[in-house]
Amino acid sequence: MTVTPDPAEVVAVSGRSLWQDAWIRLRRNRAAVASAVVLILLGLVGLFGPMLSPHDHARVYPQFVRVPASLEAYPRADVVLPSFEREMSRARIEGEPVLEDGSVTLALQQDEPIDERILRYFQRSDLFINPRLDLAPDGLSGTLTAEVGQLHFYFGTDALGRDLMSRVFIGVRISLAIGLLASFMALVIGVSYGAISGYLGGRVDNVMMRVVDILYSLPFIFFVILLVVFFGRNLVIIFIAIGATEWLDMARIVRGQTLSLKRQEFVQAAEALGATKAGILRRHIIPNTLGPVVVFVTLLVPKAILLESLLSFLGLGVQEPLTSLGLLISEGANNMRGAPWLLFFPALTLTAILFALNFLGDGLRDSLDPKDR
Amino acid sequence: MEPILDIKGLRVTFQTNDGPVEAVRGIDLSVKPGETVAIVGESGSGKSQATMALMGLLARNGKATGSALYRGQELIGMSERNLNKVRGDKITMIFQEPMTSLDPLYRIGEQLAEPLRFHRGLSRAKARPRIVELLKLVGIPEPERRIDSYPHELSGGQRQRVMIAMALACDPDILIADEPTTALDVTIQAQILTLLAELQQRLGMAILFITHDLGIVQRFADRVYVMRRGEVVETGATADLFAAPAHPYTRMLLDAEPAGRKLPPPENAPVLLDGQNVEVVFRSSGGLFQPADELRAVDGISVALHQGQTIGIVGESGSGKSTLGRALLRLLPSAGVISYKGRELTNDPAAMRPMRRELQLVFQDPFGSLSPRMTVGRIITEGLMIHEPALSARERDVRAGEALAEVGLEPGMRNRYPHEFSGGQRQRIAIARTMILKPKVIVLDEPTSALDRSVQKQIVDLLRDLQQKHGLSYLFISHDLAVVRALADYILVMKQGRVVEQGQTEAIFDHPAQDYTRTLMAAALETTRFRQEDPAPVLP
Repeated sequence: MTVTPDPAEVVAVSGRSLWQDAWIRLRRNRAAVASAVVLILLGLVGLFGPMLSPHDHARVYPQFVRVPASLEAYPRADVVLPSFEREMSRARIEGEPVLEDGSVTLALQQDEPIDERILRYFQRSDLFINPRLDLAPDGLSGTLTAEVGQLHFYFGTDALGRDLMSRVFIGVRISLAIGLLASFMALVIGVSYGAISGYLGGRVDNVMMRVVDILYSLPFIFFVILLVVFFGRNLVIIFIAIGATEWLDMARIVRGQTLSLKRQEFVQAAEALGATKAGILRRHIIPNTLGPVVVFVTLLVPKAILLESLLSFLGLGVQEPLTSLGLLISEGANNMRGAPWLLFFPALTLTAILFALNFLGDGLRDSLDPKDR
Repeated sequence: MEPILDIKGLRVTFQTNDGPVEAVRGIDLSVKPGETVAIVGESGSGKSQATMALMGLLARNGKATGSALYRGQELIGMSERNLNKVRGDKITMIFQEPMTSLDPLYRIGEQLAEPLRFHRGLSRAKARPRIVELLKLVGIPEPERRIDSYPHELSGGQRQRVMIAMALACDPDILIADEPTTALDVTIQAQILTLLAELQQRLGMAILFITHDLGIVQRFADRVYVMRRGEVVETGATADLFAAPAHPYTRMLLDAEPAGRKLPPPENAPVLLDGQNVEVVFRSSGGLFQPADELRAVDGISVALHQGQTIGIVGESGSGKSTLGRALLRLLPSAGVISYKGRELTNDPAAMRPMRRELQLVFQDPFGSLSPRMTVGRIITEGLMIHEPALSARERDVRAGEALAEVGLEPGMRNRYPHEFSGGQRQRIAIARTMILKPKVIVLDEPTSALDRSVQKQIVDLLRDLQQKHGLSYLFISHDLAVVRALADYILVMKQGRVVEQGQTEAIFDHPAQDYTRTLMAAALETTRFRQEDPAPVLP
């Protein structure tokens, strides 16, 4: 027995669909809301992070190979002065250089006129920008100033001297894109295939489901290797490979839902109204399967991300200089001893994405089928 | 005599998205030993929730306050551990749905042994003779063999008997029966109630009987509590309450029996829908070594529905009446010649599509027949989208409002969703969905049996008005003879896929020719009591 509100009360309440009900329940779930916020932030990072980041993800800084993560600017003071002195000795000048506010100043005092060509040594160095020589009128004294490039590597750099933060941003972008697009592909194919198979039933259902069984029996890695061999390593191939294997589960879930839905009286009622099969599928079957499907999708996205990570880890995924979280983790794992930050930051980001997606999926499941709790 | 169950100020509150909902608002109720007390009310009155609160079976968002003393022990707020010593032993319960209250994975003997092993500490072997005895007590044939059956091997009535046996296993003081016969056929309903009455006289337990059916209360209970919106509005001895109901709600419930008669259509009314030798056979494909099974659900039935006529199709569940209704509209592949206004109806769905407009169907379950994800407006206008695709969204909206007004609902409700409506309102929406197409023939498949009596009466009135206004012809399928008598002018009695008797309504009701018809009618319309009066409490 259910508690039906008084009809007089119902009039006052405005219409609220089951989706809105679910939304209200979801908003109460703190873990799910926090996850959604984290996901939105990470999505923004993936979208705009690479543009806002001061470094290009492919730019190599040969002088900053494998520098650890730090909030301070590179190069460090204890590196700047020795290299300035090294250049000084090459230029055969002497003096006491002073490092102040990101620029090095050297007061020069010589017996002979100072040759302006000494600037070239400093111009050639990667560390110094805009070296300037201000000479006194007699040419015997002057000041040499050179700015020091202030580079921040908040996540450190990798083995080639590329900024890890930019690479993580790109990795988030690629991983989320693969997760979302592959899941979307699985969603579209799986829902339509499963709904058609389940609703038509009989022989059609039998044939369609045997096709699914055959595809299930193909080993995933083998399938991907085949695709890569034929079409080359390409981002699109990864979407297709993951989407093409993940829709199978979706098709089965939707088919099961459809089988129970088509016995429902509202479907029979539509048949009695003379609705076409396509109309019934579109208006009645598919909207009613969407609850479990939405939940499954939120769990499918992390699965797709993990699969992409696996492929990248095995060297079948995205290609350098583009990167993904999986690839970054794989590189980080190789440099775990000497440069732990290379593993730490990508792994942390991936974990955050996966946690958030799983919590959101759980929250959605709870809010969509409150009875199952 | 001291009451063994004494409830004072019981409240049950549910926390929902719309804030707290009070299902039970402070009721007082007492049960004396050996007494039969009925709680009557329509759905939503809180009658089930009140007893669920006693047994500690409320849903997780529910909370009970107040007091319920069983022999001096407070049940509300009792720990799960202590509660388990009482429930299933001294206070037991049987539920409405016998199909789902037994676990399909266990043999019935094992399920019956559960309370004996838990409360009496009997071993499996020692429990067995007691179980056979119990099964014999509740009238299960061949108990020694049936003890090893699985629930699916038993009929609905037998399952309910097993549930009763389980409830009786530990000699309870109080048996709570929550609509125990609502899901059963009328004939079986009578058998189960007779059994309960007999058992009570032999074992002397008190019965707390929850029902919406006043007919049962009158024949069964000593005292009645009438509940409405979580409150007891009237209480008293059964005979007094039925003779002189004080509260208007009680009077309304008593008057809710559908009244009126349907006159037959004029002699010269043309035949609209004509079915000759209609047959529906369900085949289950056999295994490798066994032949295919055949079930003749409808076995060569001929029906002629005249314009303005209402044919009532009655019979027990499984008699094929719903199947016949669908077969006549060719919603199921069926054999035989069916014609509508002289045009033959075929099994080809595409050819049938234009004809569907005038041949409509209303379903039994108003909760299952409306798609939960569509607004009422879209549900109602779905037929228009199919049959009048030229209409604009605006015109459809206007028509939806008109259709809602026609079935007595606010046109402004068309943007709501079905779950926001009560059962009766939903059935009106389902009727509006068919009426918007201006049909000629409507098959009504038990449209009132899932509804409360008072709502039932309103729906019956609505159907009758619509018929008069639009000259509709109905095929009214029901197991409820009171409703059939009020609505139909011609009756077909079905049993196992065949028509055993047919004729004008008055003739069938006055002079039923077949035993089967007489049993159906006795079960539905009888008013003699199930028990002898003045029961002497017999203690075991």
